Amino acid sequence: MAMKIGTDNFKERVGNGINDSFMRGAVAGAQNSMGVRRQNATEELGNWEEWRSHGEEIRQHVLENLDYYLEQLSENVAKRGGHVFFAQTADQANEYIKGVVAKKNAKKVVKAKSMVTEEISLNATLEQAGCTVVETDLGEYILQVDDHDPPSHIVVPALHKNKEQIRDVFAKKLGYQKTEKPEELAWHAREMLRQEYLTADIGITGCNFAVAETGSFSLVTNEGNADLVTSLPKTQITVMGMERLVPTFEEMEVLVSLLTRSAVGQKLTSYITVLTGPREEHDVDGPEEFHLVIVDNGRSKILGGEFQSVLQCIRCAACINVCPVYRHVGGHSYGSIYSGPIGAVLSPLLGGYDEYKELPYASTLCGACTDVCPVKIPLHQLLHKHRQVIVEQEGKAPISEKLAMKAFGLGAASPMLYKLGSKVAPAAMNPFTVGDKISKGPGPLKAWTDIREFPAPNKERFRDWYKNREKGGKES
Amino acid sequence: MTGTIQNREAFLDQIASSLGRGRLSKGVKVPAWKHRPQDQVLNGATPDELIEVLKTQCLKIHTSLVMTDSKNLPETLNEVVSNYGGGPVVSWKDDRFSKWGLDSLMKKEWPSNNIEVYEWDHTKGEENIRQAEKANVGITISEMTLAESGTVVLFSDKDKGRTVSFLPATYIALIPKSTIVPRITQAARELRELHHSGSQVASCINFITGPSNSADIELNLVVGVHGPVKATYIVIDDL
Amino acid sequence: MKVTLFATCIVDMFQSSAGIATVELLERLGCEIEFPESQVCCGQPAYNSGYVKEAKEAMKSMIDTFIDAEYVVSPSGSCITMFREYPHVFKGDPVWEPKAKKLAEKSFELTQFIVDVLKIEDVGARFDGKVTYHTSCHMTRLLGVKKAPMILLSNVKGLEFTELPGKEQCCGFGGTFSVKMAQISEQMVDEKVMHVEETGAEYLIGADAACLMNIGGRIERQGKPIKVLHIAEVLNSR
Repeated sequence: MAMKIGTDNFKERVGNGINDSFMRGAVAGAQNSMGVRRQNATEELGNWEEWRSHGEEIRQHVLENLDYYLEQLSENVAKRGGHVFFAQTADQANEYIKGVVAKKNAKKVVKAKSMVTEEISLNATLEQAGCTVVETDLGEYILQVDDHDPPSHIVVPALHKNKEQIRDVFAKKLGYQKTEKPEELAWHAREMLRQEYLTADIGITGCNFAVAETGSFSLVTNEGNADLVTSLPKTQITVMGMERLVPTFEEMEVLVSLLTRSAVGQKLTSYITVLTGPREEHDVDGPEEFHLVIVDNGRSKILGGEFQSVLQCIRCAACINVCPVYRHVGGHSYGSIYSGPIGAVLSPLLGGYDEYKELPYASTLCGACTDVCPVKIPLHQLLHKHRQVIVEQEGKAPISEKLAMKAFGLGAASPMLYKLGSKVAPAAMNPFTVGDKISKGPGPLKAWTDIREFPAPNKERFRDWYKNREKGGKES
Repeated sequence: MTGTIQNREAFLDQIASSLGRGRLSKGVKVPAWKHRPQDQVLNGATPDELIEVLKTQCLKIHTSLVMTDSKNLPETLNEVVSNYGGGPVVSWKDDRFSKWGLDSLMKKEWPSNNIEVYEWDHTKGEENIRQAEKANVGITISEMTLAESGTVVLFSDKDKGRTVSFLPATYIALIPKSTIVPRITQAARELRELHHSGSQVASCINFITGPSNSADIELNLVVGVHGPVKATYIVIDDL
Repeated sequence: MKVTLFATCIVDMFQSSAGIATVELLERLGCEIEFPESQVCCGQPAYNSGYVKEAKEAMKSMIDTFIDAEYVVSPSGSCITMFREYPHVFKGDPVWEPKAKKLAEKSFELTQFIVDVLKIEDVGARFDGKVTYHTSCHMTRLLGVKKAPMILLSNVKGLEFTELPGKEQCCGFGGTFSVKMAQISEQMVDEKVMHVEETGAEYLIGADAACLMNIGGRIERQGKPIKVLHIAEVLNSR
């Protein structure tokens, strides 16, 4: 599974995350500052809810008519001289791209950050084919130099690394001799990467939003790396998840605005580039040849089902930046390149429940993610939906839990049983009770009391108090 | 030149089947959206009010903004370039430079003061890239300017190389005041109208908002990563 | 005004003081209280764990219990959120969806009921002490009750209020999450306790017994001198 990162199981990953104190400090700091930035950027509009509703209606319309808009997009890309390849699987996408690389006899590829190429493991495929692949987004570049450390955040991929670690990696791998100041590290990367852009044979990008009406697509960055990737190499390949498109420039504009405000709290990022086809006749920069690869890779299975709304996602990471679980465990704990709430919803759908069955439970269903989603994906409800599927269709829930829940169904539905159960509870818990609390609980209670005290059941339940009071008449 | 389309039908059939219906090949219209919050932003603002918005926004995007008029433009531009440490300068090939009285500065004064100036020339091919790469200052003209976000919009063509605004160490955008609109909404609409009127969308449209930056290292903002390190907008009062 | 009390199973079994305070407070505000004996659990533990079929049995029993009430009031934002979810759970069910709607429309969390229905902002309470308040997730985000508890607390005489830093962060309870994902839950509740301590409050107040059981249990385990109270107990104090 290409989305998968690492080989540890869920519990080990979470344990590693919790013990990584730098990472946790960095994530908490990032959540605090990005949270404020996002909040300011959305509140200053004064009608953010209306913006969200507009984002939602655009995304829903596109998904409902996806085949139409993809056909329109492909026609318009071809009209402008671009080549379009529809890839139903990751393998098909990789094979096609490998074919282009071979035909061009390309030795070096420069890439702008793209989640979908991570998802299909494009870099590994190209490297196996003997091609040098250079990531140009600063965060991705750092990870790549550090022996392909996986990303832990979909917008700030190297969030888990501190500047000292980055300095050491640069020193070891690139002969870097300066300090850990971010300016100096970034400048070094700039100088290294300049040469790469100028000598690369092919540029590969992802796609923020394709525009069906004109066959265009947009790239959103702050660094300007995507611009150099699409200006200097002679061949350009753009890879897009099949759902990432809009009808016209007017809807693109709205989604770009939602994206930049939600992702980084900016009105617009420094560079938003809208490209249509290869360069025109007599143009000097821009690619001579342009390929668009549209990837399904499991998305069409989500379409039309109860998880369809997850395809509305515009990859802003606002949900990740507010998630209290992500805050403490970090991105690698999810075991997928897609982390946080969106990752917990998407990874089981694209990668299967066998691999990702724990993720839907790694949430308190607090709803913070749903609250901030700029296109109104009901993320916590989808997490809940996953749990229902795991219990009812996948049969992957533990037996003990099933029995307990069966008992719950019986007990909670029957006032008689409930009353009896709650009445005998104090006696049943008596062996574990010291004073008014239980410090070492039995069975499932143990996981609770390992961390916190559990109250001893009231000797007089509320309902007993109420009944006695009724009998005695109201005194107060 | 027309491109190719491969493997489309099976792919789109699968989508239609997932959606539980037959293929939609025509008849889909962009609906009249229920919400249009974007129209309310800076609605009815005067050009001077938009300038004020632009000025405030430039403070947030690490960009200097200089107001001038066509009479004082050469002096202003000269000042900004010398503040950036002089040449080499690379610019688009664009009649407006000459219309705005910049010929004497760009073609005589600068070269005679040892400020190298290169004007984009598509007949020279790769040489353009080499010139842009070694340039200290890149100069282009904004076709549309977005007040809310502090964004200049550039259309590429054979005389307007994409890399003029990316490769040099610093960047100057000349902004005719008449190009200022409230936000990206107006630009998107105009692009769409241009397309409907039959003109071809430029192969590269850049929305540039200040200098290049990154927060990828511990979320520390570093200004100047792959693109220019500094940026100045020169607004020319042409109204 | 006739109020049918939904005490919730946690209050019934573990925090009867919150239930008692709710009854006394509402009576003082002029309500006539009724407590149907046949009430059980709202179904949330099973529902949130994905056991929707099992949960529905509990839900049906609750709908039958409360269907004829004028107003259903509960000292729990989370359980009322569950009631408000019933129509969604029974969507398309010709018998139960309309009933669920009827129940959802008349169900209120305690502070929401006092402020929005009774239109009372000052309950005439007095409580001497330094307090902070935990805004539980379901009550604020899903039920949308943000202001009511703040308004009521601001009018309590003697009460010294400090806002809880990071108040929008979940405390790490999350029902079965607290035991299923115990290692993560521990980190979350630790951060919450740390923030509570930062305020220097003597009392942590909340409107959801489950969150309070979680945070309070951790405070107690760590031996910190902070007392935990349900908002009903503070509003009922004179």
